[in-house]
Amino acid sequence: MVHTTVVGNYPRIGDSFEEQSLRRAIARFDKGEIKQEDLREAEREVVKGVLREQQDAGIEVVTDGQVTWYDSQSHIARKLKNVEIGGLVRYFDTNTYYRQPVIRGAVEWKEPILVDEWKFAQANSKAPVKAVLTGPVTLASLALDKHYGKRRALASDLATALAEEVRGLVRAGAAYIQIDEPILTSHPEDLPLVTEGLDRIRAAKGSAHLALFIFFGAVAKIYKDLLQAPVDSLGLDLVQGAATWAALAKIGSKKPLALGVVDARNTKKEDPGAVAKKVLELRGAIDLKGSYLSPSNGLEFLPRNRAQEKLRILTSAAKKIGVGA
Amino acid sequence: MSSLLTTSVGSFPKPDYLMRARTKASKGDLSPEELRQLEEKATAEWIRFQEDIGMDILVDGEQYRGDMATYFAENIEGTEISGLVRSYGNRYYKKPIVVDELRLRGPISVAWFEYAQSRTKKPVKGMITGPYTMMDWSFDEHYGSREETCLAFARLLHQEAIALERAGAKVIQVDEPALSSRFEELPLLVKAVGVVTNGLTAKTVLHTCYGNYNEIFEYFNKLPVDQLDLEMSNSGLDLLDRFKQEPLQKEIAFGVVDVHSHVIEPESLIRERIERALTIFEPPKLFIDPDCGLKTRSVEEAQAKLRNMVAATRAVRRARHLT
Repeated sequence: MVHTTVVGNYPRIGDSFEEQSLRRAIARFDKGEIKQEDLREAEREVVKGVLREQQDAGIEVVTDGQVTWYDSQSHIARKLKNVEIGGLVRYFDTNTYYRQPVIRGAVEWKEPILVDEWKFAQANSKAPVKAVLTGPVTLASLALDKHYGKRRALASDLATALAEEVRGLVRAGAAYIQIDEPILTSHPEDLPLVTEGLDRIRAAKGSAHLALFIFFGAVAKIYKDLLQAPVDSLGLDLVQGAATWAALAKIGSKKPLALGVVDARNTKKEDPGAVAKKVLELRGAIDLKGSYLSPSNGLEFLPRNRAQEKLRILTSAAKKIGVGA
Repeated sequence: MSSLLTTSVGSFPKPDYLMRARTKASKGDLSPEELRQLEEKATAEWIRFQEDIGMDILVDGEQYRGDMATYFAENIEGTEISGLVRSYGNRYYKKPIVVDELRLRGPISVAWFEYAQSRTKKPVKGMITGPYTMMDWSFDEHYGSREETCLAFARLLHQEAIALERAGAKVIQVDEPALSSRFEELPLLVKAVGVVTNGLTAKTVLHTCYGNYNEIFEYFNKLPVDQLDLEMSNSGLDLLDRFKQEPLQKEIAFGVVDVHSHVIEPESLIRERIERALTIFEPPKLFIDPDCGLKTRSVEEAQAKLRNMVAATRAVRRARHLT
């Protein structure tokens, strides 16, 4: 039986009035009508709902849906020393935008970033909650660097800061840590830099499971080298990155994988049977029992009801594989 | 030959009464006819404003549209509209889903073009959301290929362009904000826009914004349109040097006011920007406009920006004895 997990973010509002509580709360907060604590409360209600939806679908390793994140870059970067948050920039090839971190000086960890959010989520979930962090090389590449002049130096300090955060998460009890490095799909030559960062984070992870997830494209060219990355498991986008399949089937993997086989960027429903059949082609090449099925990336690109459907497709495909494996 | 003609990119903010009416209509508390009347009123007001300040080529202001892609999709058979999807921050939109073969039910924006044009003797632009953006901003459950979806949209939008031309549009603009999303797909964009503009006698314009222009620069001269409409002030006018090295073979509509800033650029600053543009482009081939649609600004901010823009352009024309 293959396991199931998600990649990170999840739609924070739906189409019903009740499901739009957070949108209203943010609008009211912006107008000064409610306090920070009220907004936090609204966020936490949504986190609980997101955890419930994952539990109902039967997902084994869940996330808090990154409900409080403005975006994948600024949510992490804003709490680091010498980082300001700048204007909106398109996020990879998506029609979404992130606030660009502006690096004004030497970057350092100064306070916990995700620990409280993780604690709250875990306290409200029977399933283990995975802590997800944007990786140092993606953060460095998408930031506006006004200090270092060399991306490598910035990525190195970011890795040190993130390692500190991981240490805090593990101390708080997180058993699963995931580092996202989508930059590798468009810049495979960054793999050595990513590896350096992961080495540093690995030293802080204690007995927790450390995963690397790469989404928004294929990594066929570097697949073989990726298997040497200093992580316990490797997550792959096999939808937009369908071109990785051939390498995966041929080379296989001794490392457990997260197989991003359900399209998180399109509403079209996969047939769980077809997904299961495709994954079973990898039998023998990879350790299916130690691996996970997942969406191809975070589910927030979909409307909430469609994201729920994708979770059900995922767990249904996993069950079918259980029978076939 | 006229020089430094002023125009706009497309959208203008909706006045408060229209925003309130749209909310009511979405709850079923206002009939479509009543909403339409208010949309017409707002459109007429924007046409009058553009005439009053002396704009040369007008737009209808898109008072009847929510999202630019959703509006077109709602009027094309073979699509559904999804639930809300986040764009950034607390902003959400309903994304089209292609569920079947795309077919045109009839003209999409022609009636609004006719309404706007009937209220002025100045030319009003016909406005089309481009095929690449329609594809990139929709979910596809039918075609299974970005290229096929994009070209299916392109064939329909070509019919729309012809209908606009028949209705009297002398200028037709294709909006492609998604142009720079995927560099490797630029040949597809060129092909699809070519399908839309094929055989048109109207002047054709392609508008894009918020991209890495340096990366896409080599495609500018390949785009099958007469005029490129580019955001220039938000990107710091960085492109001018590149244009000096590799001249544009087309007309350019040059964005001189930032649509994402509350700051009203003073006339002097806009004049400076126009003067800088004139170091590269010939006056008859240079059009002056805002960076992008102004719909995210308040009515007052948008009007102040446009007023200063037209006044600055006039001042430059006078100083240089241009007609």
